[in-house]
Amino acid sequence: MSNVRNNWANGLNRREFLAASAAAGVMAAGMPATARAMPKRGGTLRFATRVDGSGLDLHRSLAYYVSNPLAGITQGLLDIDQKMNIVPGVAEEWEVSKDLMRYTFRLRKGVEYHDGADVDAESVKWNFERILDPAIGFAFTRSSLLDVDRMEVDSKHIIHIHLKRPSAVFAGNVVYYPVNLMSPASVDQADTNPVGCGPFKYVSWKRYAKTELVRFENYFETGEDGKPLPYLDAIEGYPKRDDSVRLTSLRSGEVDLIENMSYFDVPDFRRDYADRFNTWDVAQVGGAHFNINAKSGPFAMDAPDGKLLRQAVAHAIDRQAIHEAVFNGLSEATHSYYTSASPWHMPDVKPGPEYDPEKSRFILRKLNMENMPIAVVARTEFQYMRNGGEILHAMLMDAGFGATNEVFDNPALRAKYSKDDWGIDSTATSYRFEPDGWYSRWIHSQGDEGKLRVGFKNERCDQLIEEAKLTLDNNLRKEMYTEVDSIVNDEAALICHHGVPLTTAGVNSLKGYAPAIAGPYSWSGGGIRTAHFDDAA
Amino acid sequence: MLIYTINRLLQLIPVVFVLTVVVFGFVHALPGDLIDAMGGTESIDDPEVRAALEKELGLDQPIVVQYWLWLEKVVQGDFGNSLITRRPVATELLERIPATAYLAVVGIGLSLLIAIPLGTIAAVRRNSITDYTAQITSLIGISIPEFWFAILSILVFSLYFNLLPSSGYVGPGEDFGLSIWYLILPAVAIGFRQAAYTTRLTRSSMLDEIGKDYVITHRSLGLSERKVIYKYTLRNALIPTITISGLQFANLLGGTVVLETIFSWPGIGLTIYQAIQLRDYPVIQAGILFLGFMVVIINLLVDLLYRVLNPRVGTGT
Repeated sequence: MSNVRNNWANGLNRREFLAASAAAGVMAAGMPATARAMPKRGGTLRFATRVDGSGLDLHRSLAYYVSNPLAGITQGLLDIDQKMNIVPGVAEEWEVSKDLMRYTFRLRKGVEYHDGADVDAESVKWNFERILDPAIGFAFTRSSLLDVDRMEVDSKHIIHIHLKRPSAVFAGNVVYYPVNLMSPASVDQADTNPVGCGPFKYVSWKRYAKTELVRFENYFETGEDGKPLPYLDAIEGYPKRDDSVRLTSLRSGEVDLIENMSYFDVPDFRRDYADRFNTWDVAQVGGAHFNINAKSGPFAMDAPDGKLLRQAVAHAIDRQAIHEAVFNGLSEATHSYYTSASPWHMPDVKPGPEYDPEKSRFILRKLNMENMPIAVVARTEFQYMRNGGEILHAMLMDAGFGATNEVFDNPALRAKYSKDDWGIDSTATSYRFEPDGWYSRWIHSQGDEGKLRVGFKNERCDQLIEEAKLTLDNNLRKEMYTEVDSIVNDEAALICHHGVPLTTAGVNSLKGYAPAIAGPYSWSGGGIRTAHFDDAA
Repeated sequence: MLIYTINRLLQLIPVVFVLTVVVFGFVHALPGDLIDAMGGTESIDDPEVRAALEKELGLDQPIVVQYWLWLEKVVQGDFGNSLITRRPVATELLERIPATAYLAVVGIGLSLLIAIPLGTIAAVRRNSITDYTAQITSLIGISIPEFWFAILSILVFSLYFNLLPSSGYVGPGEDFGLSIWYLILPAVAIGFRQAAYTTRLTRSSMLDEIGKDYVITHRSLGLSERKVIYKYTLRNALIPTITISGLQFANLLGGTVVLETIFSWPGIGLTIYQAIQLRDYPVIQAGILFLGFMVVIINLLVDLLYRVLNPRVGTGT
């Protein structure tokens, strides 16, 4: 079997991974140069994705990191490695002042936009200012820079960013997704001919049909041959929204790479086509959770029996059944946002109420609320959200609730959130790479998503999340988040149940490629940047 | 004929006006806030951002003013910009319309090429093997859902025999030969089902006509059977076929979201569907207006074709 899985998916811990990497490095170094085949340059990668871009302007549109064919044209100030660590990118060094109020980024010299202009401090300042313009910056992108007070260009390659409030997590907000850099000189053609600084240059985009990118010959990262990456000459992106259509295109040889395989296709495909195709797993690109409406109604934080009723819901949830029915056994059940594949996994989080539908029925009987009506809602676009809603509905009915189940498109669902016209939301989130993006937005009582879609309030959690934001030591932060998640689980307002995995498949001749949480394009030293074709395979 | 055509064209004005009101009203009645939709899965709670977007999009105006401003621009051929891609709506739709029209024209053309001869022969040779074969084939065509036929075709021709591409689109202007290659499966999937309906319709119309007095008269005058059937009978029998084919064509222009999804065909149906999901008002409005307009125009063309086939139509005789 020729499956290539990343190290997280194989369950290696950091120490094991480093040991394995070191051993591989020693072996490679010991080999004569002639014996090591250099990656072959050239070739066009035909890549079928689930979604297409929503626009070309890199600041107005969100380049969804997992599957946007346009994502190759740009990147952020810093990079991410496969293990989700923030690493140097366009900025080769950064430091934060002791009071956590100022970040200094030293930009790598010689990094260019596709129009030949330097990626210098002035252009970074211009980019951030444009993103912060409320009439321009996409909400998600802009929100990552809202802590910026002012920017000071120290020299051509040094920029100081002064914050409005102290933050230990700001560096995580200037990586690719959400912050993308574009050439200031290209602003007038931002909607028609975007000019970024990523590994590929824009050629054309026909929405929902085809995207064409070609290699940026002056990209700053270098390959094994000492020449600039990427190895590929070009990428053709083909958005095909249906999972089986993408898979058929791969099998019939029309594309070389597909992402977002249906969980139900993966086992058979691996068994039947291992001689022709590789598959790669990313154990988690996001987290699936059930949000209980703790803003208002019987589950509200301030309702007399709110907590007991939320716990009755939690007792009704059988994670193993979800594991099989929704994720076809490919995911990992969790009691917090992060699976064991993530460096932010917290094994000491205390789980919430265990699966015991009899306890749910007991609570409902005790409160004289048997057959209590509860509206389960989900977004129509994602199968695992819909399926999660369906199985939750069945489990709630089994536990004595009078549940209904409905799916809506995103705008209609958001209208329901605003009107509090929902009970439990089967949803999922692909997080920002910095976990503060999850905790501050979803768990903190003043977080935008928390206020709209959960209503969870807990002073201790707010305090811990704010403290974590001021803490540079990640181990300390994990301790704080462990306590937060334990409280959230006990309160059962937001029930994390699984990581959302991602499986990608490609032809055997595609080498040097592996997806990461950061997506196929933007992680340092891998992904499509280092992909190449080996005709002998 | 000219006066008839002008009359029909004048009748279009109130129809199109009502259409604009219905389209605009429908779009703005969709549940969900546009600005929320623009945020995707993220909340846009910042009042400064909301205010800026409302102003930019003209949402701070009363709905009647919004309608009037939109109509004013539409009359001048300006459909505004997509709220999502920021590109002109005309560009967005013009990228899709050729793909849809190409598929619809070839699909309908294919169906007529199959259905008219088959339906005619089946009627002329009633209760023969040919008739039974045509009837059974058309029954199968009607019974098989289009999407199932499409999937079966992909399985056979793309995966087993690797003869045709399973999905994708190449415009005829880019590479005509390759475009045909990509067109075959979706066009056959459409053409086969439409042909099934049209064959049955043509056959029954022909049977009706064949029994009429004028056919007996023509035969008694000693005209050849070929002339009686193909010159006189078929011409009259085609009126219902043309009506239905016109409606089928209009429906196809509306897009077949399922087929467009299966074949990754970048047609207007999928575009409007996705625009609805994103609440991209200008694209939805222009798209539906275009489709409505096309239905009206096709109906007009069908009516004019009636006049060609049967000059008594519309004269009151």
